[in-house]
Amino acid sequence: MGTTAAAGTEGRGEAVGEEDGAILQLLDSLDGYISLMGSLSSSLRQGWLELSSARHSMGNSRISSVLFDMKPHSSATTVDLTVSTASDADQATQPHFSLLKWGSRGDEKSPSVEVDGKTPSQASSSTIYPAVAADNQVRKKRSKALSMFGALVPPKLRVAQGSFETSLEAIIEIANTRSTILSALGRLQTVDLRS
Amino acid sequence: MGGYLEAIVRGIARSSLLTAADYNNLCQCESLDDIKMHLSATEYGPYLQNEPSPLHTTTIVEKCTLKLVDEYKHMLCQATEPLSTFLEYITYGHMIDNVVLIVTGTLHERDVHELLDKCHPLGMFDSIATLAVATNMRELYRLVLVDTPLAPYFSECITSEDLDDMNIEIMRNTLYKAYLEDFNRFCQTLGGATAEIMSDLLAFEADRRAVNITINSIGTELTRDDRRKLYSNFGLLYPYGHEELAICEDIEQVRGVMEKYPPYQSIFAKVSYGESQLLDNAFYVEEVKRLCLAFEQQFHYAVFFAYIRLREQEIRNLMWISECVAQNQKSRVHDSVVFIF
Repeated sequence: MGTTAAAGTEGRGEAVGEEDGAILQLLDSLDGYISLMGSLSSSLRQGWLELSSARHSMGNSRISSVLFDMKPHSSATTVDLTVSTASDADQATQPHFSLLKWGSRGDEKSPSVEVDGKTPSQASSSTIYPAVAADNQVRKKRSKALSMFGALVPPKLRVAQGSFETSLEAIIEIANTRSTILSALGRLQTVDLRS
Repeated sequence: MGGYLEAIVRGIARSSLLTAADYNNLCQCESLDDIKMHLSATEYGPYLQNEPSPLHTTTIVEKCTLKLVDEYKHMLCQATEPLSTFLEYITYGHMIDNVVLIVTGTLHERDVHELLDKCHPLGMFDSIATLAVATNMRELYRLVLVDTPLAPYFSECITSEDLDDMNIEIMRNTLYKAYLEDFNRFCQTLGGATAEIMSDLLAFEADRRAVNITINSIGTELTRDDRRKLYSNFGLLYPYGHEELAICEDIEQVRGVMEKYPPYQSIFAKVSYGESQLLDNAFYVEEVKRLCLAFEQQFHYAVFFAYIRLREQEIRNLMWISECVAQNQKSRVHDSVVFIF
């Protein structure tokens, strides 16, 4: 009976520890989520004002939605969604988003930041472009994206583009953080049910 | 000589342009409807009164522009030669912008009717919609522009190359260069105070365009030779300043060139290192100062040019204030508002 009681106490202790871990992960993720939402709001506000400033300089007819290119063309930036398989049967699968900016593939070293929680060294790599050539490639694609407003655009418009790029990165981070929150919540609910 | 019209312009300019007090009231508005309410007490009132809520900043700009167009048309129909030709010259810049808008939009497979809605009303001409059928500059000229006032400006940029973003940009700037040079020549033929004051104003415009072309082409495919070809052949920077600007690779090199010219030292002095985005506003401030000075002399046509440009600056001010209010960024409103008179 003493052995059973001790085993029961140990089991409860493990459950409490697991629950604490899940709660901590959830709270950490929530904190990160709130900061990211603040960053996103700030970068979007900055981007919109810079775009207005560019329109103020260039004129309303030069920066307008009527100049958007309606010809079929591939997207310069894509979002990859991977779903990690759960090692523990109690854990739900967790979706993972990664931003591939300006046509860079995930398995190439790119000057752009891959916002998927992985450092470039951790990503599987098969080809590594020279950094300078990759930089030029990205710069050309950035300019091409703005060329719908003209080939010679002011620095204000380029700065606005940078702000919206930052916002896009923040959105992907928010999506991944949200995924982590839901996963932590799921884990917490599982631990609660078990206990 | 247009004494009646000059009196009208001087009377309107002094009494109906928005004052610093008007701008201060507008900058404290909480919404675009508040802006509309404040503008209802001005001459823009009748143009905005029937616009339903919620307002958009583009609506405010469109309606204010309509007022400018009405005033311009009133002046044009009352004017005799050579003032009527002078007034028409003022609109050719907008005509060039409209041509480029239609051509660019067509290249992007946009509907020509939505492009026509976005054209500046001062730059409209009868066959403008036909621009959508042209695929290269030769066709553009042959089918449409040969019968417009822009025809003489096309001689320097007619090629059979298909239109693409860079060709269109080169066409825009080449046309504008030819237009400014032609306008300057016309003003010189008028002589007197018109020639003297317009020479200064157009030279400033040419120099500002040279600086903007330089800054905007840094890091692009535009070669130094092509950049040099887009600068006008007059102005304070012509020719030695242009030679130096053509080889600039960054904004600090542009600053180094411009600071050698005393009138532009003060402009670049207002812009610290790393604050090149404030350069546009510094140029607008200088332009407004020169335009206001045009009213100090009498019996010349430059007051008409100055009045139209000051109205355009006023519309830019209203646009910026509206954007800051709509985006809840009122702390930034004084970044780009230029007070007039």
